[in-house]
Amino acid sequence: MSLLQTLIVRGLSLIVVLITVLFLSVIVLGATGYSDRLLTATVSEELRGLRQSLSQNIRDPAELEQVIEDRREQLIEFYGLDRPWYYRLPDMVFRILTLDLGEARTLRSFTGSNRVSDIVLERLPNTVLLITSATIITSIIGLYVGVKIATRVGSRLERSVSYFSAISYALPAWWLGIIFIILFAFQLRILPSSGMYSVPPPTEPFALFLDKLVHAILPVFTLVIVSVGSWSYAVRTMVLNISQEDFVNVARAKGLPENLVMRRHIIRVAAPPIVTSLILGLTGSLGGAILTETVFGWPGMGRLYYEAILAADESVIVALTFMFTLLYVTARFILEILYVVLDPRVRYK
Amino acid sequence: MSTNRENFQEFFSSTSGKLGSILLVIFILISVFVVFTYPLNFGNTIWSNPSYWSDYPKSAPPTWVSIFGNENVEHQIIDFTAPVDVIPISNQEQRLYSYTLNYDSNISPTFLSLSMYDVVYHDRPPTISVSILRPDNEEILIYRDIISSPRQGEEGPYVRYSDSPFRINLSGDKSVSSNLIEFVQDKSNSQISVNDIVGSNEKYIFSSFSSTNPQEVLHGEYKILIKFVVNNENDSISKIRFVLGGSSYGLLGTDSLGRNLSVGLLFGFPIALLIGLTTSTITTTIGTSMGIISGYTGGRTDTIIQRFADTLSNIPLLPILLFLIFIFGPQLWLVMTILVLFGWPGLTIIIRSMVLQINSSQSIEAAKSLGASKWRIMYRHIFPQLAPFIFAQLVFFTPAAILAEASLSFLGLGDPSIPTWGQILENGFRTGGVYIGYWWWILPPGLLIVITAMIFVFIALALEPVVNPKLKKM
Repeated sequence: MSLLQTLIVRGLSLIVVLITVLFLSVIVLGATGYSDRLLTATVSEELRGLRQSLSQNIRDPAELEQVIEDRREQLIEFYGLDRPWYYRLPDMVFRILTLDLGEARTLRSFTGSNRVSDIVLERLPNTVLLITSATIITSIIGLYVGVKIATRVGSRLERSVSYFSAISYALPAWWLGIIFIILFAFQLRILPSSGMYSVPPPTEPFALFLDKLVHAILPVFTLVIVSVGSWSYAVRTMVLNISQEDFVNVARAKGLPENLVMRRHIIRVAAPPIVTSLILGLTGSLGGAILTETVFGWPGMGRLYYEAILAADESVIVALTFMFTLLYVTARFILEILYVVLDPRVRYK
Repeated sequence: MSTNRENFQEFFSSTSGKLGSILLVIFILISVFVVFTYPLNFGNTIWSNPSYWSDYPKSAPPTWVSIFGNENVEHQIIDFTAPVDVIPISNQEQRLYSYTLNYDSNISPTFLSLSMYDVVYHDRPPTISVSILRPDNEEILIYRDIISSPRQGEEGPYVRYSDSPFRINLSGDKSVSSNLIEFVQDKSNSQISVNDIVGSNEKYIFSSFSSTNPQEVLHGEYKILIKFVVNNENDSISKIRFVLGGSSYGLLGTDSLGRNLSVGLLFGFPIALLIGLTTSTITTTIGTSMGIISGYTGGRTDTIIQRFADTLSNIPLLPILLFLIFIFGPQLWLVMTILVLFGWPGLTIIIRSMVLQINSSQSIEAAKSLGASKWRIMYRHIFPQLAPFIFAQLVFFTPAAILAEASLSFLGLGDPSIPTWGQILENGFRTGGVYIGYWWWILPPGLLIVITAMIFVFIALALEPVVNPKLKKM
C-alpha cells in the first residue's frame, strides 16, 4: 500500500465517524421534533423580514397577507416542513455541515451578530489555541520525563511519576482549575482569574499579546497537569517494552553510546505507539477543554457550550456538537499522518 | 498459574491496594447508612425544597472555622412546646413561654425568625406577641400578630398552619422595625427612620448602642418572652420556633439557600457509587461479550461488530453526551445509558485481539475436538482466561463514569431530582462561590469526587501485577 492509499483509508474512516455523528444528531433532532421547531422558527423569522420590507410597498392589508401566505407555503415546501422529518435528513445534514443553522436565540457574537455560524466560528481559534498549546507542552514534557524515568525504573522519580499519573486520572480538570483560581488568582494574586484579556484590553499589539499570554497560563497549565502524568507514564511503558528487545541489546553490545541507542533504536521504534496514545488522549483533552474554558471564562467554543446550555440555545448547541467532532476528526487526521510518517512499516506493507 | 490466595496476597501487599480497599469499605458503609436513613425522594422533597431550609443560616461557613479566631455566633433553634405559665385574664387565657439565653458573642445573630406550627382555635382567633428582655432590663415588644380569622362559611374548630408552618423573618419585617423604632431612637439619640433599620432589626435588638462602636453587642442574659393569648381553653398550638441565625453552621457549612451541605454531600455517596459501579459493570459485560463473540466467531459478525465499535469509539464523548442530554433532558439513567453506549467499544476491540491469541492455543483446539459447542467454548474456556483482565477493566472504568457524570453536572446538566456532588459544586460555582470565597461550598464536593475516583484507581493499580504478571519483574 502506498503512503497516499494508507492516508486515504484513514481519512475515509474518520469521515465515517463524522457522518455518523451528523446522522446521529440529525435523527435525534428529527425524532424529538426539535428540527420542526428549528425550521418553523426560521420560516417565521424570514416572513417577519418580508413583512417589514413589503409593508413599505403594499398598502392593502389583504393583499399583503396574501403575498405573505403564499411565501409561507413556498418556504414550508422549500424546507420540507410539509413532510415527515426523515425526508429532510439529507438537507438537514447539509445545513449542519455548512453551519447554516439560522440565528441564535439569545447568544450574540462579540461583534453583535446573532448568526450561529458567526458566533461559533469566532470562538474556534481560541479553542484551537488552547488545545494545541496544551497538547504540545504536554507531549514535550511527557516525552522528556517518560524517557528519563524509563532509564531509571524503581527510582524515586519513577515511582512519584506513576503515582502522579494515577492521581491525575482521578482529577477532574474543572476542579483543578477552580483550585488554581483560588490559589493563584485570589490567594497569591499573581495571575488573572478568568477571561482572555484584561478589562480594558491594552491597545498596543505586543502588550495585547502579552496580556493574552498571561491569561492563557492558568488554563493551559491546568490542561497540562491533568494529562501530563498519564502521558509520561505511557511513554515510559512503551520505551521500557522496546528497550528489552534483542536489537537494543545488540546495539548496546556493539558499544554504541547510551543516548545514541536511546535516540536511534528505542525512541525511533517507540514513536508510533506513542503517537497512538496521543490520538487516544485526544478525546480526553477535547472534553477537558470544554470544562477548562468554562471554569476560566476563556472565550472559546467550550465556554460557549456552557453559555448555550444556560441559555438553552438549541441551534448553538447543535452547531457546537458538530464543530467539536470536526475538530476532533481533523486533529486526529493530522496525528494519523504523523503516524504514517513515523512508522515505515505502514507504508511498505 | 497463581492461585486465588496468592493473588489476594499480591493485591493486599501493595499500599495502594490496602488504601483503596479501606476507603472503599468506608464509602460503602456510609452509602448503606444513607440508603437506610434518607427518604427515597430526598432530592425533590428535601434538597430542592427551599422552605425546608428557611431556618438555616445562608452561606454560613463550618462551625470549626471559629478555631482560627473568626468571630462566631452559634446557630440556635429554640422550640417552645409547653408554656411556663398560664394566666387567666377575664374570659381569656394568656399562655407565657419564655427562654433565657446567655449572649456573649461579639456579633449579633445573622437573622431572627419565628415559626408557628399547627394552631387550632374554636371561637375567636388567638394572638401572639414576642418580646425580648435585654440585660439592661429594657423589654422590647418586637412582634405581635393575630392568627387569621375564620373564612366565610368555615366551621370550627379552625385549623391553621398544619400543612406548612407560618414563618416570619423578624430581621426583615417592617412591622418589627416599627415596633423597634421608638426604642432605637431613644437609645441612640438620633432621628433614625423605620426604613433605615428594616433588614437589620436583629442588630438593634442586640446592640449596646455604644457611641464609640455602633457594632458593639450588649452581652448578658436575654429573655425571649412569647405570649399566646387564646379565647377558649381548648385552643392549641403544637410548637413555636424561635431561631437566632448563626454565622456558621455544622460540619461543612451551608449554601446560599441555607441548605446544610453535609446532608447533601452524604447523599452523594451512594449516588456516586451507583453511577460508577452500575455503568462500569454493564459496560464491561457488553464489551466483553461483544469482544469474545467477535474474536471467536470471526467472519461477517466480526467485521460488523468491529466496524461498529471502531466508529463509536472514535466519537468524542463529552460533546455528544452534552448534546444528547440537552435534547432528551437531564435524567440520570439516560446519562448512564449513554456512557454505556459509548463505553463498550473500546473494551470490545481489546478483548477481541486477546481472544484471537487464545483461539490458536491447544486448550481451545482440545475443547473443539471434544465437540464442545461454540457458546460453551466461549464461556468455559475463553472467558476464564480473560477474567482477571476484565475485572481490572471494570475497576478502571468506574471512576471514568463517576467523573463523566460530575462533569456533566458541572456544566449544568445534572438530574435535578437527584443531587450529586457535581451539582453541589456547580451550584457553588454558578453562584460565584469561587470569587466570593465560599470555599466550604467548592472544595468538599470536588475533593469527594477526586477521592472516590482515586479509590478505584488505587485498586486498579494494585490489581495490575495480578492481572499482568510480566510487570512484576520490572
